[in-house]
Amino acid sequence: MSIVDLTSMAEPEGNQQAKVDEIIKGLREDLSHDCYQCGKCTSGCEAFILTELEPHKVMALSKSGFIDELLNSSEIWTCVTCLKCKERCPQDLAPVDVIFALKNIAVVSGKQIDSGYSNMLQAVLGTGFIQSPKEVVDRENNAVTRDALGLPPMKGPAEIPKLQQVLMKAATETLR
Amino acid sequence: MDKIGLYLGCLIPTEQYAYELAIREVLPELGLELVDIEEPACCGAPLRHINLSLTMYLSARNMALFEKEGLDILAPCPYCHQALSEVKDVMKKNPALKKKVNSYLKEEGLEYKGTIEHYHLLDLLHDQIGIDKIKKHVKKPLEGLNIAAHYGCHLIRPNDIPRPDDSENPQKLETLLKAIGAESDYYNEKLNCCGAHILLNESESALTKTGQKLEAVQNHGFDGMTTMCPWGQRMFDAKQDSAGQTVGASLSVPVIYYIQLLGLALGKEPEALGLHLNKSPVGKLSSKEEV
Amino acid sequence: MARIGVFICHCGTNIAGVVDVEDVVRYASELDDVIFATDYKYMCSDPGGRVIKDAIKEYDLDKVVVAACSPRMHEPTFQAVITDEGVNPYCLEMANIREHCSWVHKDEKKEATLKAKDLVSMAVAKAGLLEPLESYSKDVVHDALVIGGGIAGIQASLDLAESGCKVYLVEREPSIGGRMAQLDKTYPTLDCSSCILTPKMMDVSRNPNIELYTYSEVVEVEGSVGDYKVKVKRKPTYVDWDKCNGCGECALVCRMKGKIPDEFNEGLGKRSAIYVPFQQAVPLKYTIDPSKCLMLLSGKCGDSPPCKDVCTLDAIDYEQEEEIIELNVGAIIAATGYDLLDANEMYEYGYNHSPDIITNLEFERLICSSGPTGGEIKRLSDDGEVKSVSFILCVGSRDKDLKEYCCRIGCMGALKHAYLLKEHLGDDLEINICYTDIRSFGKGYEEFYRRIRDTGTNFMRGRPSEIRTMKDGKLNFDIFDTATQKLFQVTSDIVVLVPALIPREGSDDIGRMLRISRGADDFFLESHPKLKPVDTSTDGIFIAGCCQGPKDIPDVVAQASGAASRANTILSKDTLESVSTVAVVNEDLCSGCGICAPVCDYGAIEIVEVEGEESKKIAEVDVALCKGCGACASACPSGAMEQKGFKCEQLSAMIRAVSKQVE
Repeated sequence: MSIVDLTSMAEPEGNQQAKVDEIIKGLREDLSHDCYQCGKCTSGCEAFILTELEPHKVMALSKSGFIDELLNSSEIWTCVTCLKCKERCPQDLAPVDVIFALKNIAVVSGKQIDSGYSNMLQAVLGTGFIQSPKEVVDRENNAVTRDALGLPPMKGPAEIPKLQQVLMKAATETLR
Repeated sequence: MDKIGLYLGCLIPTEQYAYELAIREVLPELGLELVDIEEPACCGAPLRHINLSLTMYLSARNMALFEKEGLDILAPCPYCHQALSEVKDVMKKNPALKKKVNSYLKEEGLEYKGTIEHYHLLDLLHDQIGIDKIKKHVKKPLEGLNIAAHYGCHLIRPNDIPRPDDSENPQKLETLLKAIGAESDYYNEKLNCCGAHILLNESESALTKTGQKLEAVQNHGFDGMTTMCPWGQRMFDAKQDSAGQTVGASLSVPVIYYIQLLGLALGKEPEALGLHLNKSPVGKLSSKEEV
Repeated sequence: MARIGVFICHCGTNIAGVVDVEDVVRYASELDDVIFATDYKYMCSDPGGRVIKDAIKEYDLDKVVVAACSPRMHEPTFQAVITDEGVNPYCLEMANIREHCSWVHKDEKKEATLKAKDLVSMAVAKAGLLEPLESYSKDVVHDALVIGGGIAGIQASLDLAESGCKVYLVEREPSIGGRMAQLDKTYPTLDCSSCILTPKMMDVSRNPNIELYTYSEVVEVEGSVGDYKVKVKRKPTYVDWDKCNGCGECALVCRMKGKIPDEFNEGLGKRSAIYVPFQQAVPLKYTIDPSKCLMLLSGKCGDSPPCKDVCTLDAIDYEQEEEIIELNVGAIIAATGYDLLDANEMYEYGYNHSPDIITNLEFERLICSSGPTGGEIKRLSDDGEVKSVSFILCVGSRDKDLKEYCCRIGCMGALKHAYLLKEHLGDDLEINICYTDIRSFGKGYEEFYRRIRDTGTNFMRGRPSEIRTMKDGKLNFDIFDTATQKLFQVTSDIVVLVPALIPREGSDDIGRMLRISRGADDFFLESHPKLKPVDTSTDGIFIAGCCQGPKDIPDVVAQASGAASRANTILSKDTLESVSTVAVVNEDLCSGCGICAPVCDYGAIEIVEVEGEESKKIAEVDVALCKGCGACASACPSGAMEQKGFKCEQLSAMIRAVSKQVE
């Protein structure tokens, strides 16, 4: 490529869009990149006003191969997944899916991610769920549990090591 | 339909006990037996940020478990429901992927065929059980209440996979509210997000979204807000105070699961519906309605 | 025994540069039934034709094979050559050794020569079995039908009438005028739309060659080019138009006055049950809307129907019945126009949440001095003052889920509205145009755009995600402007949506009756996008205006004149020759199963009972309708249906010839 970003001297990497496609491929038959930058996604982005996430810019940057700056930013982690961008895109594109793919790429490339997400992963690998039953308080501040409320015991996977093993395999070999 | 498998996901059985209580209390009353199955796990949707394959595997795994029992699924969490819908849709369109997923499932002794349906409470109540049946069971109609409907983003979007209601003009929740005697005005923020998704890493932004929507509901003059989503309920109900502080508003909006409202209309005891677990001032509803 | 001559063309070096022509001549001269074979530099030239003619005379040839270019190029040329020598034109067979051989095998000369031999041997094998065919000729009816009385239909009718044809103009509404009559001004010249349209409408009504049928619909079309038989339903107007003088007293006294949404004003105004769509209507005759008239609905309208009481000409006739008129025409022009996409399709733009969110066509009526507000621009919700107007372009256009194509009138229309708004309400009015790309492609359009850019109009390069109606009735939306990289919140009194254009409701019926194909966009499909833009796949049927695709007035008028001129190429003839390679039924083999009839795109096949033989049915081909496409022959399970010039034995001979080479 003969394009250089003069503000950072970065050059686009041609295979980056392919990486995004590779992840989305399982979900979408149509991998077109025909965004015409109408900006409807960003106009309605529930995150933009709070976190400066610009879906239309994500689409343009990933199309032109400049995704490194997205992978390194916290921006992609601020998507609220309201799905309005995907719902309302006149070209049937899905910025939210591209953002998810970028997050997946960031994880694979070892970028620092918020501990909340890694904790969730650890919890699922350890118990099958993102969290274990909590003791909650009612409006009178009495602590209550499932048992106290008369709810049946929570069921879950019996063979955790087995589940863990399959999950790790699915994650590394990728399903698509 | 007289029997359905209950798939609660993660959030409902670990902290949103009111939702579970009300579901277990109300649905049998409407003639539906709920069956708990062995060995469910997370639907995988929360792990999508990290690795899409995990979502696909876990959703397929749960559907395979219910399929083995020959049970359709009730997934009262829109986040779970959407993951199941998406993975089901993808595997229908992409047989190679289905084959691959099945090769993994085999290691857990499972197989996904794609023979069962899954429902959310919204379509279960509106389309399967039906408005007429609900109306017949109502003992104490919630007259005089104007309740804001909050569907939850994942329940109605995206429309390229099957969702329980229209993505831009959903009406089933309003219809269900009317069926139990309440009113439900349209409000501009109806389709807006609760912010739950970024509570982990951007809590202030998340609570701002929560606060802004609650403020809109309050300013509109609604008597309360109803949800069908454990994530939305957690934000609007349990986090209402902190959301109010974040946006600098004094919020006092009763936020209640629709299934709880339905239980009240069927004449159930508030405690049996977990109303004492709601943090928002749901008592305001009963004082106005005297339920 | 056939006497075949084979003529191999060099086409300069196009063929001879790749194929060893002399070798092919040698090969051909040894084939069965070939009496003579030769080659020439340009067979299509005059001297080339002479070579063929001389050989026919000298060797008494009755079949001719020319190995040259595609028959699409020069089949008619060589048919004319052999006809001159008394050989039937259908005794010509061409072998395409240019497009199918030398051009595609430039680098494989040896193989190309082999392939040229195969192609020639196939042509020779078929030529031996060719039969002389007759052509059919039929008389042409010189009258024309134009369907749709908008500016396209008006222009086409006037052009045809001026050239001396009798024209039947059929319009579904009570008046001609169409969409153009609804417009206030036209861009970029800002002419008053009705000022330039009304004279043309009057011309139509005065022209002795034009017979106008308004409030009428085409219900049946039969026949083929040069001779179409058409049935037109004249709906009852319940007013004797011979008596009505258009005074309008009836509408003033109608008990339904001011109660019925007025279609011409896009529902912004109200009309009576007896009405004319607008004051310049042609014909200026009143019509009773049977779905709203109390008398027609219930047989009772107060003590006595006031319209009848007030009409001094006694024109009201509740007993009027519909009438079917039969027309006979040589050509038909469809000019059925467009509708706007229902703006509710894009639900997030809140069209049905506020009366102040309107379409651009509604805005035309709002700003028009003959419109329901007399041209006063106000909020329709509360008659309030207007301080800000926003335009949203591409509503459902350029949208993969709705309409993929550009509406071609939205950008310029919004620029025009911006100009008119400033003219009406002054420079203080805020105008926001939310655009994706401004398309100002026509003559004088970019200059007009520059003019508007200079007026203080805000151009926002972006698109809102949703439009909200606030408690005070104001409209509010967020828009990310990609030019300033800012998210603006805009509050307006009126939001004008610019929806996609779609084919006019009911045009699918017209399309079916006229056998016009439709494109992926649902509009009528032209025969060729560049070279036959107003023809259709059915001979004698032409299209004009927005029924073919979105376009603005200059393009519509040009296309309508084009369609009239194309129709004249038929109407000006006395007779037409039809194709000879038509389908033919072997009555012994045909079981009357009927598989062939529905595959015929031209309606040329009918399953009929055989006279004298009860329960025996066979297919019958109307050679005047048959286009020789061959679809029926390939669908026929018994081999009873054959296409002349492409008979089974002829094609089998070709296959045998080429497979012999392979062996």
